[in-house]
Amino acid sequence: MTFQEFITVNLHQFWVLTGFANCTWQHLVMLAVGLFFLWLAIKKNFEPMLLVPIGFGILIGNIPFNGTAGLEIGIYEENSVLNILYNGVSAGWYPPLIFLGIGAMTDFSALIANPKLMLIGAAAQFGIFGAYMVALALGFAPDQAGAIAIIGGADGPTAIFLSSKLAPNLMGAIAVSAYSYMALVPLIQPPIMRLLTTKKERVIKMKPARAVSQNEKIIFPIIGLLLTCFVVPSGIPLLGMLFFGNILRECGVTTRLAKTASNALTDIVTILLGMTVGASTQASEFLTIDTIFIFALGFMAFIIASASGVLFVKLFNIFLPQSKKLNPLIGNAGVSAVPMSARISNNLGLEYDPSNYLLMHAMGPNVAGVIGSAVAAGVLLGFLA
Amino acid sequence: MKKSIFILLAVLVGGFLNQVDAQGRRGLRINEVMVANDSNFIDDYGRHNAWIELYNSTYAPMEISSVYLTNNPAEPKKYPVPLGDVNTEIPARQHVVFWADGEPNKGTFHLNFKLTQGQDNWIGIYDANGITLIDSITVPASLLPNTTYARRLDGEGEGIEAWEVRDGSDTYYITPSSNNKIVDTNKKVEMFAETDGNGFGLAAMAMIIVFSALLLLCICFYIISRIGSKVSRRNKARSHGMSAETLTGRQTVQTTDHDSGEEIAAVVMALHEHLNAHDKESTILTINKVRKSYSPWSSKIYSLRELPRR
Repeated sequence: MTFQEFITVNLHQFWVLTGFANCTWQHLVMLAVGLFFLWLAIKKNFEPMLLVPIGFGILIGNIPFNGTAGLEIGIYEENSVLNILYNGVSAGWYPPLIFLGIGAMTDFSALIANPKLMLIGAAAQFGIFGAYMVALALGFAPDQAGAIAIIGGADGPTAIFLSSKLAPNLMGAIAVSAYSYMALVPLIQPPIMRLLTTKKERVIKMKPARAVSQNEKIIFPIIGLLLTCFVVPSGIPLLGMLFFGNILRECGVTTRLAKTASNALTDIVTILLGMTVGASTQASEFLTIDTIFIFALGFMAFIIASASGVLFVKLFNIFLPQSKKLNPLIGNAGVSAVPMSARISNNLGLEYDPSNYLLMHAMGPNVAGVIGSAVAAGVLLGFLA
Repeated sequence: MKKSIFILLAVLVGGFLNQVDAQGRRGLRINEVMVANDSNFIDDYGRHNAWIELYNSTYAPMEISSVYLTNNPAEPKKYPVPLGDVNTEIPARQHVVFWADGEPNKGTFHLNFKLTQGQDNWIGIYDANGITLIDSITVPASLLPNTTYARRLDGEGEGIEAWEVRDGSDTYYITPSSNNKIVDTNKKVEMFAETDGNGFGLAAMAMIIVFSALLLLCICFYIISRIGSKVSRRNKARSHGMSAETLTGRQTVQTTDHDSGEEIAAVVMALHEHLNAHDKESTILTINKVRKSYSPWSSKIYSLRELPRR
């Protein structure tokens, strides 16, 4: 081999390994999606804490490379660094850690003060099961349909946890879909809420919630854990961590642990979860007709969930005395996008009556939605796993 | 005295550890047995011998070194599974085969006893204490050569109805070191696909469960809040030296008379202005535009409050 041939052969080998040589239109589409997510997060300020890691993760996961070279760099290649980080998603242990953080940062006072709001959180789970039926009609198997339908819970960690158990092959699309719709709550929910409520209903003022004692706050995670997990033991990973985080916060003697769980730990896991979920959308695995169906079903599930929450409050109001009527604008918060959907209730309430602050009322169904979606996930897991 | 307490503690701890150990291996099962092997499965030495398949019916790996296998209830410690062999850890829901060839020097999985054709063969597994019987089976004398006595479903069932004779046919296949029941589909999923094609059944059941769980929680907290408010009223009454009813009556009068939150806030603001009671603030008042990147995920205004202190 001459020196010239030597140089040519090696440069050619190098070229074969570059992203330029391996780039396909699918990669370019996914890179555009990643850039769009980053634009939404940075320029439009849509849930940057979620969309920046996911968007950048999409860029990382869709850099074209030669998959046959055995470089161990792809997220689906065993023992690659990304694959090791992805284990938290594929084995389903990031979501319970996120739930630990959610528990440690959530104040359940609104729910404890007005326990009937829990039922709104349950009603919003209609979205999950409505989407399940449509997914079956579209030809998905029951386990896949269950994994897709959980998007309607608007709960990213739960969606990842359930899909990792029921349909690991669809997990990337389900996770991205769930987080995307959570980020788009400000766009999706208000039109539904306006459509389903009258002007008179939107200005209903609810009584301020009573003060909740410290003892009640301590009892809540204990009773909550025991009751919900006795009913649905398959919800233990999520509900156990949620209530564990909450008791760390409320007991008053583990402040340091509560702070770590709600700040440092949640931040670390959010970074890893978001980035690896984004990176899991590798074009070759992600761009399929199933993904389009999943996004469409997720969107539908989200709409059904929001609508059923609002309609349930209206139904509930029929049985409540005039002085205890609920504002239907808090119904959308039954989906567990915490606290985004509660914020939407508040903003819309203020739009129609600048003195009507619904935030703390909406936080009740909102956190009940977290519990409800975890219970729903446990039910699906119990039935279909 | 101290010594006797120490001994008592040691015995208690020892007993507890023993119990824990027994519980850890309680999921070990005898799964399939071949007594006369003429032309079936062969061992590492290329020989046909009787074999016993054990199954880890738990969902966690199980280390079986130091458990005992025996064919004689009077001699429970007949063959201790040797320590120090990595292969004695059975993965979750997996199998391991022991050769009953009476030649333990051939390796970990070769037992020091044989099974006898034409008579009942009792086989037992004892835990490391040599007392706790984990599982046992009596293989009937009628078992023909090259047939096995196997559980219908791996690791499941008790009594002889859980067992069957397998002759190696298409229906009764022999599966050393593999599942007795080959499952190629998820039965639950199949059942839902067959009987609940439109998903209404699952949706209805699931919604009832979700509602029940949250309704239970709701009722529970309704009761707790009632009890809580009664207790706090009673305590308050005691501290004021009056009965709870009297205090309730007073509070009712006060409640009807008291000012709204807005009125109280207005009074407080007025007092604040009047008394000119300013705190020293560490913040900077500026007319420059301050841009903050905001997300509810980072906001502690909406969902959080100060952490409670005791």
